[in-house]
Amino acid sequence: MIEIRNVRKSYEGNPVVDDLSLTVKTGSVFGFLGPNGAGKTTTIKMLVGLVRADGGTIKIDGHEPHDTPSREQIGFMPEDPYFYDRLTGMEFLMFCGQLFKKSYRKTENEYGEILKLVGIYDAANHAIATYSKGMKQRLGFAQAIVNDPAHVFLDEPLDGLDPIGRREIKGIIKKLHGDGKTIFFNSHVLGDVEEICHEIGIIHRGKLVYAGDVKQFCNGRTLEEQFVTAIEQERNSSMLTL
Amino acid sequence: MKNIFVIAKNTFRAAIRDRILHGILVFALLFILFTVFLGSISLGEDLVVIRSIGLAGMYLFGMIITIFLASSLISLEIERRTLYLILSKPVSTLELVLGKFFGLFAAIALITLCMAAVYLGVVAYAGGGFDAPSLGAIVLQIFEAGLFVAMVMLFSSLATPFAAAIYGILVLYIGHSLSVLLQYVQHRSIALKAVAKALYYIVPNLEKFNIRNAIVHHMPVDVGMILLAGLYALLYAAVLLYLAKQLLAKKDL
Ligand SMILES: Nc1ncnc2c1ncn2[C@@H]1O[C@H](COP(=O)(O)OP(=O)(O)OP(=O)(O)O)[C@@H](O)[C@H]1O
Ligand SMILES: [Mg+2]
Repeated sequence: MIEIRNVRKSYEGNPVVDDLSLTVKTGSVFGFLGPNGAGKTTTIKMLVGLVRADGGTIKIDGHEPHDTPSREQIGFMPEDPYFYDRLTGMEFLMFCGQLFKKSYRKTENEYGEILKLVGIYDAANHAIATYSKGMKQRLGFAQAIVNDPAHVFLDEPLDGLDPIGRREIKGIIKKLHGDGKTIFFNSHVLGDVEEICHEIGIIHRGKLVYAGDVKQFCNGRTLEEQFVTAIEQERNSSMLTL
Repeated sequence: MKNIFVIAKNTFRAAIRDRILHGILVFALLFILFTVFLGSISLGEDLVVIRSIGLAGMYLFGMIITIFLASSLISLEIERRTLYLILSKPVSTLELVLGKFFGLFAAIALITLCMAAVYLGVVAYAGGGFDAPSLGAIVLQIFEAGLFVAMVMLFSSLATPFAAAIYGILVLYIGHSLSVLLQYVQHRSIALKAVAKALYYIVPNLEKFNIRNAIVHHMPVDVGMILLAGLYALLYAAVLLYLAKQLLAKKDL
């Protein structure tokens, strides 16, 4: 279970995440939505321990993200990931896997299976510098699941993928869900969110606007329509208070 | 422990695959070979010329390579956000800093040994036999490189690669002229003396690692002194790496 309680973060005095509280149940696929600059990436970085919150608490299965050993159970794919260009995809994935106690002893075959799963096995022995954007995205996804984590955090995992790639990654997310993993992901592709998520959270200017069931939120319309309406309402009401 | 090794291995691999490094290294090796020619035109002083220019060249290229590789070691990881991939895993900042340090240090030690092999070959070719005393200078150079890697790495967690390289060059320059500096200010103003004294205590005394002159002029090599210099490098590097770790741990990535 992921528990976020009254979390705050500001950069240079500007609040970026403002009193955020959110609970994500174990085993659910949670979509975290919001306009550009809303604070999604900042939130996910606090969840995986890269950024410290100014206040509030975060617990993942009872552990704080800064508790290094507890990260054995976490997978994270950053937004627009960047790698060591001179390594091959296989070398990089092995490097990542070896940083976990859980996957330290994985064999090259097992790493190969993961690369097959994300569809870049053919390029396993090519330098990452030669990878296309979508291939890097797939490698980013591969390293997020290399340790078979209980909680997977994905920052815009579908960005930059072709339709086939999107379908494949969505398929893997569904399979992870079938294995009982918790998946927390940021996305702007609302059609996909509607398809694979059970619950969503919507953040606007650092504040949570909605958290709960997707279907309930949609109320018969598409997620995109409802999302735009909700954000516009927020903008109008904040204009009124000005 | 395991993570330090895994990160070191990865850093080493990425470092020795650098194309620009290959270029500098080829140039350095050609330079060392070229000393044969310089020796041959030096009217009977062949070995003195080969050994002094060879050792100096090896040192110079070793430090250029160190600055080149270490100056972007941390800042590039921050800028390119590769650190996100590492620090979101069960890796502490201390393990990261030590892993990066040992990986790069191993790469630089290997490069230094490559240059040393060519150097020893050149001396033997010129009739100097096996130049055992120079091994002392080479070992000291590797110690100094260790200290210097840690120093530039610290700069690299604070500043851009370019700035880190400039600071590195300054430390190298001041670190080799500390005693000269102290002598120079002896009859100067109190303020100048204070600055020199401060530098003397902050900047590492890199002349401790320089026995090149002594070796070329056949003075005896003191093994105890070499070991002491190694200890000095170790302690100094430990403090620098600790500072780098503290800086990195405070940073919001
Ligand atoms: N390191 C930082 N220093 C200063 N400001 C930052 C930093 N990181 C993020 N911000 C600011 O915080 C706000 C939220 O950024 P964040 O990256 O969390 O947005 P996001 O919801 O992920 O947006 P997007 O959909 O564009 O990815 C932005 O206004 C951004 O400028
Ligand atoms: Mg973002």
